[in-house]
Amino acid sequence: MAHLPRRRFLQLGALAAGGAALSACGGGDPAAAPAAGPTGTAATGDITVWSWQGPASMMKKLVPGFQKAFPGVRVDVQDIGNPAIWDKITTGMAAGGLGLGDVLHIGVDYLPAYIEKFPGGLADLRPLGADRHRGAFAPGMWETVSRGGKVYALPWEANSAGFYYRADLFEKAGVDVAALGTWDEVIEAGVTLKKKTGVQLLGIDKPASQADSANLFQMLLQLQDSFYFDMQGNITLDTPQAVTALTIIKRLNDAGLVADMAGGWNTMMSSIKSGSVAVQSMPTWFGGIIEETAPDQKGKWQVRLPPAVTQGGKVAATVNSTHLAVAGTSKVKEAAFAFAEYVLTRPESQVAIYKGKGIAPALMSAYDDPVFHEPSAFFGGQKKGEIFLEALRKPSYVTNYSADYPRALKVVTDAQSKVLLKGADPAAVLKEAADLLAQQTGRKVVR
Amino acid sequence: MTALAERAGAPPVHRAPSRRRWRGARLAPYLFTAPALLLFAAFKLYPIAWAFWLSLFKTDGGLQTFAGAANYRRLVADPLFWSALGNTGIILVVQVPLMLALAIGLAVALDSPLLRFKGFIRLGFFMPMVTGLVAYGLLFAILLNPQSGLVNWVLGLAGIGPVPWLTHGLWARVAVGLALTWHYTGYNAVIYLARLQALPQDHYDAAAVDGAGAWQRFRHVTLPGLRPVVLLTLVMSTIGTLQLFDEPYVMTHGGPDNSTMTLGLYLYANGFKFFDFGYASAIAYALTVIIGILGLVQFKFLGDRP
Repeated sequence: MAHLPRRRFLQLGALAAGGAALSACGGGDPAAAPAAGPTGTAATGDITVWSWQGPASMMKKLVPGFQKAFPGVRVDVQDIGNPAIWDKITTGMAAGGLGLGDVLHIGVDYLPAYIEKFPGGLADLRPLGADRHRGAFAPGMWETVSRGGKVYALPWEANSAGFYYRADLFEKAGVDVAALGTWDEVIEAGVTLKKKTGVQLLGIDKPASQADSANLFQMLLQLQDSFYFDMQGNITLDTPQAVTALTIIKRLNDAGLVADMAGGWNTMMSSIKSGSVAVQSMPTWFGGIIEETAPDQKGKWQVRLPPAVTQGGKVAATVNSTHLAVAGTSKVKEAAFAFAEYVLTRPESQVAIYKGKGIAPALMSAYDDPVFHEPSAFFGGQKKGEIFLEALRKPSYVTNYSADYPRALKVVTDAQSKVLLKGADPAAVLKEAADLLAQQTGRKVVR
Repeated sequence: MTALAERAGAPPVHRAPSRRRWRGARLAPYLFTAPALLLFAAFKLYPIAWAFWLSLFKTDGGLQTFAGAANYRRLVADPLFWSALGNTGIILVVQVPLMLALAIGLAVALDSPLLRFKGFIRLGFFMPMVTGLVAYGLLFAILLNPQSGLVNWVLGLAGIGPVPWLTHGLWARVAVGLALTWHYTGYNAVIYLARLQALPQDHYDAAAVDGAGAWQRFRHVTLPGLRPVVLLTLVMSTIGTLQLFDEPYVMTHGGPDNSTMTLGLYLYANGFKFFDFGYASAIAYALTVIIGILGLVQFKFLGDRP
């Protein structure tokens, strides 16, 4: 820099200032934008959208409508795959935004890490007009996407903990699933079910061969208003709540009720098709997956909110959510934000997505649509949408995934594998996990 | 590489008559090596040096603060680093010698004058090497799948209960070892075979005259003859094992409970899963030092003796 000729330096400075001015006039003044519908008539350019499987295919279907409203924008929706997308976003951000998509679909488990560890990696959406949607989403969602007064994403799906079960199998075993009050009763029911039908209660990826093997553990924590970290970012893996949750899993396993889902997603899908497990304790979005995977099992499935961990405890928890963010280095931020708005803040878009893939919106106004209040033929005439809507309306525990969630997940799944494969003591492995996480992250352990 | 170029460049110029031609000839080797050197500097040397610099920083994704040797101190106290190193050590001590012994046996068999369809059979054993790492890792993961894999089905026919490949610590290690052996044995065998064919026949004839049997000829002629290539394959297998990544990544993700976690996987997890590039770089440098030390030891014990 020191050897740069003075004139050249001034030219560069002028260029940089010009660029800043350009981006400022693009989306600087939200008040000047037209009030009705998604704003940003200035939005032009080619945008790339990164997402995965189901959501990607749904966004592709919304593109023609979007391009009619924004003829100057060309949209390329790419199915990067999940979990591959996290590695790809990380690599892009580490390279200073090189090769990153303009719109990024990000799960709540990774959002804090990207915000905290890559300052500037995600664009602040307030200058683009995000604030006008503040009150539009389910309770707790705006807090999830905001950090230090800035807004980094718009919420898409909000998933509540659910409990999908094969009603026909439980009926054969003479168990009334709707009446199960706690997980203790679930274990008893599972024993009866196995005795009468030979079917195991549920599946866990015991060796943690893929991501998502700790879903049940995580949900059992969230039902107790607890998680891996507290709101201050301290480690809370060695708490009575965590030990209770892992002990439930150990008791299920010791009773022979847990099938091994090693191999992750594919194994899980084939277990649904073959009917080798009776329960999928999965959130809202999973209903659509079951319906799509095993259309021939229509009428055999039902759904309820999960039983409480302790008698009279919580049965509702927003276990996770996903969001659309705009890359901080994107050159077409207005166009990118316009697309995110089109997908996420129009009830019509969200209703279409729900009809297609059963992805539950965080956008509350979408729930006025009758589709959320219709009986579902696949789920034995239940009003599935209303069951989860009821959970979504309740004030939810706001989960602090923190920037160290990937590390925490690793020590948790290792601890769970020790319990499931070697019969280790839940309290002992959780203590060990908490200490290891503290050593790796420098965070404090609260016991 | 430079040594070779100098040797090639210098002798043909016998006392160049004009000074200008002399200077051109002196420049030639550098010009010839320049493209390779420049590419090496840009794509290898620069990242290698940069990684060392990075290893001295505490990284939090995009944020970096200079921390001196803090990452290395953390490494020494990290139980996961040691278990990754231990797993790599086990493969090195168990799988590599077994595979190389197998390869020597295979090479001798392939060299046998009794063997027919030589080209076809040699090609068959070499083919696995051509398969992409991820592709064959996936293949093994599918074959060894405890519930639906072909291997357990066949074992079941023989009355052997389902083996928890990939889901049990010990068996997961065995599975990764099997995959590695399948992939690299033929490759090593071909290297040995090339050397065997270069061994002078008169050594064998002399041994036969002295009354040596087949085993003694193998023991006293073949093995000493193979010594330099054994060193080569040993060093290459050691480096390969220490950098092992693709196979366990695809087959087990380092699980269950870190039993197949290798240094390569742990490095990757720290960099790309935990956003901790400084620590990942420190692991890479620890790995480099270990490879260097092992290489020196192997040269000392197996290298050509004067």
